[in-house]
Amino acid sequence: MITVKAGGLVAPWIEWEKRCTDGRRLLEAGTYALTEGAIAAGCRVFAGYPITPATDIAEYMSKRLPQVGGYYVQCEDELAGMHACAGASLGGLKAMTATSGPGYTLMHDAYGWSITNEIPLVVVDAMRVGPISGITGAPGQGEFYIARYASHGGNFETIVVSPSSVQEAFWLTIDAFNLSERFRTPVTILTDQVISDMWEDLFIPADYDGLDFVRPRKHNLMMPFYPVGDASIDVPPNVIGHGTGVCVSAYTHTEEGYDIEEMEAQWAQTYRLVNKIRHHKDELARYETFGLDDAEVVAVAYGANARTVKTGVLEARRRGVKAGFVRLVTLWPFLDELFERDCRFVVCELNYDGQLVREVQRAAPHKKDVHFMGKSAELHTVSEVAAGLDGVARSNRLPELPYIWTEVR
Amino acid sequence: MNKLAAKYLRPSQIPTKACHGCGIGMIENWLLQAIDELGLKQEDVIFGTGIGCVGRQTFATWGGDNFGATHGRALAVATGLKLAQPDKKYLIVVGDGDAASIGTSHLIHAARRNLGVTVICEDNMGYESTGGQFSPTTPAGYVTNSSPYGMVEPGFDPCDVVKAAGATFVAETTATQWHQTVKIVKKALQNDGFSFVHVRFPCNENFGAYALGTRDTLKNLEWIYEHTQGRKADGSETDFTWETGIKHDASNSRPEFSRLLRDMNARVKADMEAKRRP
Repeated sequence: MITVKAGGLVAPWIEWEKRCTDGRRLLEAGTYALTEGAIAAGCRVFAGYPITPATDIAEYMSKRLPQVGGYYVQCEDELAGMHACAGASLGGLKAMTATSGPGYTLMHDAYGWSITNEIPLVVVDAMRVGPISGITGAPGQGEFYIARYASHGGNFETIVVSPSSVQEAFWLTIDAFNLSERFRTPVTILTDQVISDMWEDLFIPADYDGLDFVRPRKHNLMMPFYPVGDASIDVPPNVIGHGTGVCVSAYTHTEEGYDIEEMEAQWAQTYRLVNKIRHHKDELARYETFGLDDAEVVAVAYGANARTVKTGVLEARRRGVKAGFVRLVTLWPFLDELFERDCRFVVCELNYDGQLVREVQRAAPHKKDVHFMGKSAELHTVSEVAAGLDGVARSNRLPELPYIWTEVR
Repeated sequence: MNKLAAKYLRPSQIPTKACHGCGIGMIENWLLQAIDELGLKQEDVIFGTGIGCVGRQTFATWGGDNFGATHGRALAVATGLKLAQPDKKYLIVVGDGDAASIGTSHLIHAARRNLGVTVICEDNMGYESTGGQFSPTTPAGYVTNSSPYGMVEPGFDPCDVVKAAGATFVAETTATQWHQTVKIVKKALQNDGFSFVHVRFPCNENFGAYALGTRDTLKNLEWIYEHTQGRKADGSETDFTWETGIKHDASNSRPEFSRLLRDMNARVKADMEAKRRP
């Protein structure tokens, strides 16, 4: 359970920004911020396969990593990319890969392996409109559920976060590394074509070595390596190469990492993989809200289009609509508590099939009060959002708008 | 447990779950002999496997650090691991599915990069843990559970592929050649680069039973031996011949992959420092 704090942004970097006074102000791209955030967090291996719109991260990494003694590996495919990151992380180096939807689905082989072996690493998915190749230069939000279920087989939880500005992409990347180390699991940064390609004001701290909020890599040199059946998160990740006899594999395993085909072991492993995240949701909640105190209708969004949606909410308020705003930064585990309020919701997302809206419908007290404003391949406009909020506030119905899909079922 | 197993393996994981008469345990013993003759210790070697008979039966047997990757991806994991732990020896023990089918792209590119690992491809000529389907190394014409009318596809020699891709040590041997295999594995481990050792061994339960018509270990080993000689016990020619031995030895002739990256980093660092000086 999390306790919802109404008003403003709830995220650890609010504190970090206050502590970092010495630095440089740049005009840079989201891909640059994601790269620098990783370097600042201590990332020393990038293994991946270039793909639009994440390609620039690979290019920046190929330049930056050798400068800090790190390694850039351009792999034969995304399967190899994420597996190599997992290998590097097992060997004691922090690692990241970056891709878009077509590569992200290929990575799910390694994603599952990293989840079950509790290997910390960070995956950036710069979403574009799909399915499959879709339009390489247009934003999408189609991987909301895929990122949650980033492996087959069930019996796990995932951590997925999404930035909505270039500056936030920088801090959130450090945060994602911290979370992956603490929770011993891969963390997805689900960004999109707009945020990754967009150039914006960016503050970069002068001295990365002095960032005391960066969680350092620690090595687990103790047996058992896997506290199965225990949801504690203060056990450092496994490390190969220190003579401790590590065993990691794709199988259901014992505490020692040995493969086993017994139901009790399966249950104990599941308890750990699910509850180490579920039982610590309060540490994972990052979100932004405003106007919730008196809101009759609340707009919900994340990523790039949360920017125009936020302005749309302000426009609706100017027109006299009691409108509020929820921007999710943590997408998974899903923050149900934000939607447990008696009001109407308008969920704005960049797909026509409706993904985030289904979770809001599940979490909100009244399904009929949750409305869907889906748009594909381009951001919502301010006037569309304002018109939608106005309509829902008046009659609990969305007005008909061109390019907007409202049907979920 | 024999002396080598006691020295290097994990007692709780021995014996493995391998079928009666399986060659995997015997070949692992030969690997231990090579490791022992080179004077390597448990902590010097990282043992990586994949999925299938070879992955399942060898995973976690090694007393040092082990990883069992997803199917075919052991070399992809090793590529990252080698960057973090460059001084270790890597024994990547995989099957024909891992090396010659689902993970061939990783095999090719690990060879191209001259990644410092020794791949032992233990080839039982089919997917035997899933019940005996053909693989790209099943000889053409042979009957398996997914080629009931005979394998119609041409076979595939992974040694040719890795040699063409740039492997610096390539050898082929079988479960009938103890001393040759030990010698080859020792040479492979002494190459600071990509070594590939292809070892054919019999599966009695599936390949033996369906392709050769017998579950008798000795008969299946004899079938392999005859194909290394090109001649059957009765003096007649076999349907094809496997040329065993070292096929390509360019050991230590070009830099290992992680070394290349470390050298580049040293160059970049030196350039940065030179620019900083007034």
